Amino acid sequence: MTECSARFADIISTVEFNHSGELLATGDKGGRVVIFQQEQENKTQSHSRGEYNVYSTFQSHEPEFDYLKSLEIEEKINKIRWLPQKNAAQFLLSTNDKTIKLWKISERDKRPEGYNLKEEDGRYRDPTTVTTLRVPVFRPMDLMVEASPRRIFANAHTYHINSISINSDYETYLSADDLRINLWHLEITDRSFNIVDIKPANMEELTEVITAAEFHPNSCNTFVYSSSKGTIRLCDMRASALCDRHSKLFEEPEDPSNRSFFSEIISSISDVKFSHSGRYMMTRDYLSVKIWDLNMENRPVETYQVHEYLRSKLCSLYENDCIFDKFECCWNGSDSIVMTGSYNNFFRMFDRNTKRDITLEASRENNKPRTVLKPRKVCASGKRKKDEISVDSLDFNKKILHTAWHPKENIIAVATTNNLYIFQDKMN
Amino acid sequence: MEFKLEAHRIVSISLGKIYSARGQRGGLKLHKNLLVSLVLRSARQVYLSEPGCPPEPPPAACGPPEEEPPPCGTAWAAGEPPPPQDEAARGGPRLPGADCEGPRPRRCCCGCSCCCCAAAAGGGEANRADCATAGAAAPPPPHCPRKRSAGERGQAGSPVKKPRREVEEPPPPGEQEDMETGNVASLISIFGSSFSGLLSKEPKGRRRAPLDSGEAPTTTSPSPAEAAAEPGQICCDEPVLRTLNPWSTAIVAF
Repeated sequence: MTECSARFADIISTVEFNHSGELLATGDKGGRVVIFQQEQENKTQSHSRGEYNVYSTFQSHEPEFDYLKSLEIEEKINKIRWLPQKNAAQFLLSTNDKTIKLWKISERDKRPEGYNLKEEDGRYRDPTTVTTLRVPVFRPMDLMVEASPRRIFANAHTYHINSISINSDYETYLSADDLRINLWHLEITDRSFNIVDIKPANMEELTEVITAAEFHPNSCNTFVYSSSKGTIRLCDMRASALCDRHSKLFEEPEDPSNRSFFSEIISSISDVKFSHSGRYMMTRDYLSVKIWDLNMENRPVETYQVHEYLRSKLCSLYENDCIFDKFECCWNGSDSIVMTGSYNNFFRMFDRNTKRDITLEASRENNKPRTVLKPRKVCASGKRKKDEISVDSLDFNKKILHTAWHPKENIIAVATTNNLYIFQDKMN
Repeated sequence: MEFKLEAHRIVSISLGKIYSARGQRGGLKLHKNLLVSLVLRSARQVYLSEPGCPPEPPPAACGPPEEEPPPCGTAWAAGEPPPPQDEAARGGPRLPGADCEGPRPRRCCCGCSCCCCAAAAGGGEANRADCATAGAAAPPPPHCPRKRSAGERGQAGSPVKKPRREVEEPPPPGEQEDMETGNVASLISIFGSSFSGLLSKEPKGRRRAPLDSGEAPTTTSPSPAEAAAEPGQICCDEPVLRTLNPWSTAIVAF
């Protein structure tokens, strides 16, 4: 497995491959976006695909202060979503708690030289010294990657934005906060349409919030949103302008034997992702990953336990706030494997076909570059076997919340607190 | 009994979380605080539904928040009942124009009509969702303006006129479009006397201290500047804030 780690500066808050997989964007708590680019395949080194190197770094969001409410607005990047590439430039949406920005990332590898009125360093020449005229020409220069903000979508969210999702029409996108979902047009920044509003008339009656939202990959009229109560609602924008009434409600009845003080917290969904096919969707709650068939609302078709050994530790995890960690999940390109993170820098993969699962660790101490990752095992109770790790020795500060899978190849990006690991399949 | 102890511990942890949520950057996290309030409600229900709900929580399990009720109760019972005319007014900030008692059952986040653990002085009337902190013959005001209990404790013997004046003015309608978490805030009001113990010290930089130390409530009352001066913590609109005195400002503005 090839491993490349980068960026120690700040806590990574989001990771996203673009549609081709050539670019990988990360956002961090400091409001920065770093984009990695895959090297072109090296024909002589057939044992590995190209490595990812830093392509562009820019400051996407700055901390702001809302004077009206006396609230500081964090610059942390909550989500990045790429637009499909239409021309030479790349576009992505990045968002913090309140403002979404459309960034254009373009390359410049030529520059004009030979101006008549300007020196090469930019100083203006005295026109009276110009005796001949020449036509400026483009000459090659070192590649420069520029990021410029093209649109700023602001002032549409009272609550904290948790999701953005680009529609399959590639013209509109949605942004979701705790209580509302808005629909935007990529070209229009001064207005958005509210399509979901679950704010109660009396805030004291609030019982659930929106935790994630995503457009269907193929149906431009369909989107889903998950809630803190563990439900997912599928909405059809053709039905009405305000999609408060869902078309489908996905909910699994709670297992009464598992009831505890923390049942509600651990059923809160932290991420929802459609499969590439659009037939399934995956949800992540605190202890498990569930796969739902869009045609069946009353229960998921598959459930995978991520770290069931934590169920008996919920009180401690509540105390140290870990129970509020929002883990993300992702599909591989063929929808056959799903992946999500856990603690101790472990991440888990579940093969839907073979029903096998594996636990791997993202850490430099335990894995040299170009070595194959060794599967890990957590010992829940009883006698700990060799190479197993007991639950009590897990490091809960080392959590993997964000993972991403290359859309076409078996390359994965795994973010620990402030390092990014990129692993790929061992090629024979 | 074990469940009771655990429930009690969870209640105090939850209150600590709600309290420390005030100081965090980026403003109130609605989702997290909602979850915490749900846990708090569950734990509270368990705690109160166990037979033999004691007026005072077992000493082994208590931190300062739990220590509040007895002293508070004493303060109340010591003859400083809140001026009755304040009750209706105190209902103001939460539900404009509503009677302080009426909305109580709805406002009580746990939705139950049992006395809360702060019911030091012989538990309030069980048929009301108000959580009386004191044997005050007068109903339960401490939850309205938790400021009251703290203020009372701090200045035993002096009726607090200032809050009454400010509280009379209900918040303008339509000011709800805000990150106001009334549910959790009224939660704080229910545990008013417990909570004010947490606020008796300078809030900043003392996130977990109240849970660790066993100090009795102090008699200092914060200046308005103290409560309002911490940037990033005021989550209510100005008009609402104006109606409350510094104590409630501090609590509400988490």
